[in-house]
Amino acid sequence: MTAAPAGRRLTDLWTCWWVFPPFYTLFGIIFVPLTRVMPPPSPAKITAQVVGFFHAHALTIQIGFGILMVAIGFGSVVNGLVAYQIRRMTAGSVFCYAYLATLAVGAIPGCLFCAFSFLAATFRPDRDPHLIALCYDMGLLTFVGSLGCFATQYLIFAIAIFCDRNKVFPAWLAYVSVWQVVTELVAAPVFIFKGGPFAWNGAISFWEGTALFGVYIACLIMASRKAVERQQRGEVTAG
Amino acid sequence: MRMSAQVVSLWMAAVFGVILLVAFLLFPGFFPPMPPDMTAQQVAGFYARHQAMIRLSMVTVNFCGIMLVPFFMVIVYQMKRMATPTQVLAYAYLSAAVSGATLLALADLFWLVAAFRPERDPQLTQLLNDLAWITFTMPVGMIIAQMACLALAIRLDDQPRPVFPRWVAAFNIAVAVAVAPSAFAAVFHDGPLAWNGAVSFWLRACACVLYVAVMLAVVWRAVRRQQHDGVEGAAA
Repeated sequence: MTAAPAGRRLTDLWTCWWVFPPFYTLFGIIFVPLTRVMPPPSPAKITAQVVGFFHAHALTIQIGFGILMVAIGFGSVVNGLVAYQIRRMTAGSVFCYAYLATLAVGAIPGCLFCAFSFLAATFRPDRDPHLIALCYDMGLLTFVGSLGCFATQYLIFAIAIFCDRNKVFPAWLAYVSVWQVVTELVAAPVFIFKGGPFAWNGAISFWEGTALFGVYIACLIMASRKAVERQQRGEVTAG
Repeated sequence: MRMSAQVVSLWMAAVFGVILLVAFLLFPGFFPPMPPDMTAQQVAGFYARHQAMIRLSMVTVNFCGIMLVPFFMVIVYQMKRMATPTQVLAYAYLSAAVSGATLLALADLFWLVAAFRPERDPQLTQLLNDLAWITFTMPVGMIIAQMACLALAIRLDDQPRPVFPRWVAAFNIAVAVAVAPSAFAAVFHDGPLAWNGAVSFWLRACACVLYVAVMLAVVWRAVRRQQHDGVEGAAA
C-alpha cells in the first residue's frame, strides 16, 4: 500500500468522501418521504389496506425508487472508501475484501429487492390484490430482515478497528459497530411477528435499529473525514 | 500475447460475450421487446408459445453472463496499476461490478421461472415477467458507478503513458449518461422511457454492447503493452 506522493492532493479519496453525506441524505429522502418504506407501514394491514397504501403512494414510490436505481451505485463508492481505510489497518486486505464482498451482496436483498417488489406492486394497480400483498411482504421483509450481510460487515469492521495498531479509526467506532450487530440480531423476529415491538415496524426491530444506524452513519462519516484529513497531512502509518 | 490470467479473462469475455449477444438476439422477448401493457393472458400466452426459445436463450444467458466478470476484474487490476493518489476507486469499482452482475443473474432467473410453468395463473406469470423486466432494465446505478469511478481514475492517472488513453474517461461518462434514464422505466407504460422504449431498451442495449466491445479493445491494448514492458505480474 503506497502512501500518497508528498504534497499530492488525495482527489480520489476526497471525491469518495464527498459522495458519502449526499448519498445517505438521498437515501433518507428516498426511503422516508418518497417511498414510505421508513417508518414501515404495519405488517398487520389487511389486503385491501395494502392495495390502498400502494394506491396512495404510487407516484412517489416510483419516483423515489427510480432515483434509488441510479443512487445505489454510489453506495459502492462509499463501501470502497471504508474498505480502503480497512486496507490501511493492521488487519489489512482480508477484512478489506470481506467488507467489500459482504456489502456487494447486501445491496441486493437488503435494498434493491424492496424497490423491485414495490415497483412491481405500483406498476399494475389492477393486479390481483393478493399478489400486491405478496409484493408488500417481500419488499418490507427483505428490507428490514436482510440481517446477515450487514451483521457480517459490522462484525469484521469492529474487529478490524479493535485489532488495528495504525489508529486509522478511533476505537469507539468499533463499539458503535458492535451495536449494529446487536440491532441486526434483534431484527430477526420480524419474520414471525405481525405486531408489537418485534414486528418489522416495531419499537425494537425497527425504531431502535434505525436510530442506532443513524448514529453509526454519522460517526462513520466523521471518522472517514478525519482519516482522509490525517492522510492528506501526511500522518500516514504504512499499512 | 503470452497466456496469463488477464489474457484468459479477456478471451473469456470475447468468446462468452459473443455467445451472450447471440442468446439475447434469440430471446423472443427482445424482438420486439415485450410491451408493458400486455395483459396477463397475453403474457401467459407468450410464455406458452415461446417456451423452448425462452429457455434456450435464458439458460445460455444464465451460463454465460457471469463469465464476463473476470474481464471486469482485469479492469480493477488495471485501475490498481494507475498512478492515482490511492487505490480507492478500484475497490469501489469492484463492489459495483459484483452487485451489477448479480442483478443480471436475478433477472434471468425471473424469466426462467416464468417459463417453467406457463400454465400457472396468468397473474403470477405476469408478476414474474414484470419483476424480470424491472430487474433487467432499471438498476443502472451499479454500472454508472463503475463508469464514474473508472473515468475519474483515468483522469487522475498521473504518468507520461497512462494505463488507458484519456478519451476512455469521456467514453465511460457518455455511456453512463446513455443508460441513466432507464432507471425510471417502471413509471411508464409506453413511450421512450418504458422498458420496451427507444431510450430504456434500444439506447441502453446498444450502449452496453458498444461499451463491452470498446472496453475489450482498450483493455486488450493495455495488457499487451504491459506484457511488452515486462511488468505483468508485478504487484498491483
